[in-house]
Amino acid sequence: MTGQTIVLAADVPFPPSVEDFYLPAIVGGHDSYWFTKITALLWISVAAIIIFFLVSYRKPKLVPTKKQWIAESIYGFVRNNIAVDMLGKRGINFAPYLTTLFVFILLMNFWAIVPVAQISPNSHIAFPAILAVISYVMFIYIGMRHHGGLKYFKHALIPPAPWFILPLLIPIEFFSTFLVRPFSLAVRLFANMFAGHMLLLVFTLGGFAMLNSNLWFAPFSLVSWAMTIALTFLEFLVVCLQAYVFTVLTASYLQGALADEH
Amino acid sequence: MTGQEPPNNPRGDDGPNPPDTGMGMTAIAYLVSGMLVWGGIGWLVDHWVGTKGIFAGIGAVIGIGGGVYLIVRRIGA
Repeated sequence: MTGQTIVLAADVPFPPSVEDFYLPAIVGGHDSYWFTKITALLWISVAAIIIFFLVSYRKPKLVPTKKQWIAESIYGFVRNNIAVDMLGKRGINFAPYLTTLFVFILLMNFWAIVPVAQISPNSHIAFPAILAVISYVMFIYIGMRHHGGLKYFKHALIPPAPWFILPLLIPIEFFSTFLVRPFSLAVRLFANMFAGHMLLLVFTLGGFAMLNSNLWFAPFSLVSWAMTIALTFLEFLVVCLQAYVFTVLTASYLQGALADEH
Repeated sequence: MTGQEPPNNPRGDDGPNPPDTGMGMTAIAYLVSGMLVWGGIGWLVDHWVGTKGIFAGIGAVIGIGGGVYLIVRRIGA
């Protein structure tokens, strides 16, 4: 009897580990990681975004069709509520990039709660890291262009303060602007998606683990699975919020780079 | 929202920042990095001198003071 339960419990690996994020290859050998569910989801996201926006804006009408309305609403939301709100008139120049960023992160995050897919590529740090690097390079480049080369660093590093506290403040400015920003941008998105996937795994697999270990635990398994459903809705909130936060912070860094002396 | 114009009165470049747009994150970043930078420098001094953490403590306090000062200068006022 005990031997049987152990075998049953062994069917469902519990607790979940980081290994669960490295899915087996779809094509190629067992230890080939060139094409996995993560890469598939990435390319599906990219293709979906390109096709959706091309199709919905192929024949723009004055009275928009439903698709055109959705596409324009998304763009209008990012342009008016993020770009123009934070960057003023110049925000319109950045609205295309910010919209792309927002839609891309939103869709990539959304895979976390799509049945069958159930994992977000953003739960691998590589994706948020690259996005953060793009934002980082962009705000430095924009700042250098706006202030003129190295003057930007003078502007960014030297706060308006009496000279004798500057040695105290400049290292803090350097650390928070040029080291913490890209790191926190990447880690915030990655950790949220990683933790979300981990939570869903714990409650789903936990239900099976309890069911397998003792039949009397079946009611608790049901509670565990109910929690999974509730957490999926929570995940939806996190998915939207993190896409928004990433975009707003990128806009905020651009604003800092474009700010004039005051 | 279709074809909606940008808000009628987009904020001028010298207007106040709109509320809650990355300001909180900036403030936290200043506080934490103040503590980390000067706490870290103090920790190095500790290693160099051979004390057991007095300079790290002093550094963290000074750093958080600097962080608060930066928040007031950059975000407040």
